[in-house]
Amino acid sequence: MDILIIGLNHKTSTINERETVSKKLLTPELRREFIEKLLELKDEAGRQLIKEIAVLTTCNRSEFIMNLSYWTQGKGGHAIKNYIAKYFFDDLEKEKILYMYLNEDAVRHLFTVASSLDSMIIGEPQILGQLKGAYNEACKFNTSGQFLNKLFHKAFNCAKTVRTETKIASSAVSVSYAAVELSRKIFNGLEDKKVLLLGAGEMGKLTVKHFIKYGVKNINIANRTAEKARRFVEESFEDKEKTYLNVIDFSEYYKNLPNSDIVLCSTGSEDYILKYEDIVPVIKMRKQKPLFLIDISMPRNIDPEINKIPNVYLFDIDDIGKMIENNIEIRKREADAAIDLINASVAEFMNWKESLNTVPVIISLRNKIKNLLESELSRYITDEKEKDIVVNSLTNKLLHEPTMLIKKSSLNPDGINSIKTVKALFNLDSEDYSEVSKKHISESVSETAAESEYSETKIKLVK
Amino acid sequence: MLKELYLIPLIIYIFSYIVFAFKDKKYYKLFIYLIYAGFICQSIIFLTFLGIKGFAVPVHIDRFVFFNAWILMSVVVIFGFFYKVEYILLYITPLVAVNLIIAFFVPHIHVRPVMENTDRIILLTHILLILVGDSLFALAFIVSLIYIFQERKIKSKKNLKILDMPSRSGYNLELLDNINYICLKVGFPFITIGIVMGIYLSGSLFKTFLVVKPIEIMSLITWFIYAVLLHERMAKGLRGKRAAVFGIIGFLLILASLGFSFYFFPAFHGFE
Repeated sequence: MDILIIGLNHKTSTINERETVSKKLLTPELRREFIEKLLELKDEAGRQLIKEIAVLTTCNRSEFIMNLSYWTQGKGGHAIKNYIAKYFFDDLEKEKILYMYLNEDAVRHLFTVASSLDSMIIGEPQILGQLKGAYNEACKFNTSGQFLNKLFHKAFNCAKTVRTETKIASSAVSVSYAAVELSRKIFNGLEDKKVLLLGAGEMGKLTVKHFIKYGVKNINIANRTAEKARRFVEESFEDKEKTYLNVIDFSEYYKNLPNSDIVLCSTGSEDYILKYEDIVPVIKMRKQKPLFLIDISMPRNIDPEINKIPNVYLFDIDDIGKMIENNIEIRKREADAAIDLINASVAEFMNWKESLNTVPVIISLRNKIKNLLESELSRYITDEKEKDIVVNSLTNKLLHEPTMLIKKSSLNPDGINSIKTVKALFNLDSEDYSEVSKKHISESVSETAAESEYSETKIKLVK
Repeated sequence: MLKELYLIPLIIYIFSYIVFAFKDKKYYKLFIYLIYAGFICQSIIFLTFLGIKGFAVPVHIDRFVFFNAWILMSVVVIFGFFYKVEYILLYITPLVAVNLIIAFFVPHIHVRPVMENTDRIILLTHILLILVGDSLFALAFIVSLIYIFQERKIKSKKNLKILDMPSRSGYNLELLDNINYICLKVGFPFITIGIVMGIYLSGSLFKTFLVVKPIEIMSLITWFIYAVLLHERMAKGLRGKRAAVFGIIGFLLILASLGFSFYFFPAFHGFE
């Protein structure tokens, strides 16, 4: 019942390392393969270590969000981390770049990620969609259970609150903004510049929109499947913007390079689609006019060597991130407010999780005592109503102290022992207990909507 | 006596830099205004006290340097006005200030060219053309320097705080390169005619074209460098960093030839 997050992001690793990982998680099939391997991990007793898992991969991070089995101990967590380091890098040394969060820290981390506070560009909106994608995929793979469901829903909820309650999102400087600003450092006015977009993705869309806002009037879009590019243009842009867009065949993109001043690349290709040798003749054909390349794909699609060619400027996602880091100060205050909101959500979730441990014990204990009393008292009291009153008041009085003890024990780390003692004393580990606990969990999950409403008011109060 | 007047624009420029040192956007406007004030001051001094007559040969060497500073400033102000690149003023004013300081400290002596009256018009035009051309090349030099720093910054991707400082119009590489090109295109004819006139003058001065003078060699080398640069730019589309390096080398050669002609071989330049 422990939540474990293992992963790496732009703060802990270099672009090459992230590339290695994301290459092995590129397609759903690859991810499925990895998940299956992780689920096969066993402890010494041959029991499965991981119960539920979701995989989040974006261009800046790869994270594995897991719900561990009831019996998995700390050692198990390290075993999983070792396995992941080995799986991706064949090198245990690389374990250093992986971070590992457990329970409360993990929940906080996930909520921070969802609220886009941990992003390279604080406040960027894409991460929430990517997280939703990760969750949907886990549902599809059937690796997300009741526990992760609740966790993810809470994360989405938290992100939404942060977005609406703080100004973090409204002032978000995105990669697209940075791309436009950079091109304004290189070019004198963007009105007469030509943009070539390779790949039809979310990031490309935002950047193109930004370029149009700054006066670019000539944008070519090339995608491997032309149909997707056409649909992308149709769905993502307004009528006025569409007049500046032009879908070209993917095979023609190279012919278009000498005419393009700015090339945006965000395809999902595994290899470089623009290599050093490709660009050298292009820049000659351009008569040395500057060429600005932005590679917002992960793994990278443009050979980094290209930056060495005179009058060619190549920026990849890491470079842009480094630039934006200087900007963080400005939004620090907003981030502080957001952290308060996140902490409130985390506390709520952890309370729910803890209660999950104790509530079934209390319920089954009550049921047991109640049943006993009922069967015994029915011999002496014939009136049903009277009997109920007596049974209830006796149960309450008898169980007041033990209930308090159990509730308290859930709050401190040693509490698990007293719960175990209670269970042993009353022999609660029988079938009816597990039934009760299952029922309770499903009930609490279905209560998400009601609870979220409650949490919103609470967050407002906190604020 | 007149020389103290040179200090007025100089002080204004120095003061404007102090204002600029505050690094505040509010003061940036003030800084620009102060520089314009300095320029106007320079112009007034030039027009009222020195007058066109002051530049009729023979010249005083300090006036000559002051004139140089004024031409340089005018060229840059006109340029900044047309291309909306006021920030160039920031980099060119030190050059102007150095000129003013030199003008102040240089002894107030006559440099009397040994010249017949008929050649005076040609001599004046020669001076004017060379000065305007050199000012344009000086501007190209400054712009090239900015280009190289800016380009290195973008290429190395370090300290690029683009988001902290929303791009004021300017500092973009394309514009810097364009200014460089325009300076070259406009400055080159000036220099060419100026040099031709200079050779003519030296011919009439020494009564022969056959004496090879260091100033002529230096000028021709400089001219050749700029000619090659112009050709490369026009025919082969040379751009960017390499063009900027060319511009810098060319200007350093100009400085060297000026130094040659004024300090080491004044006689060859027709001074007494």
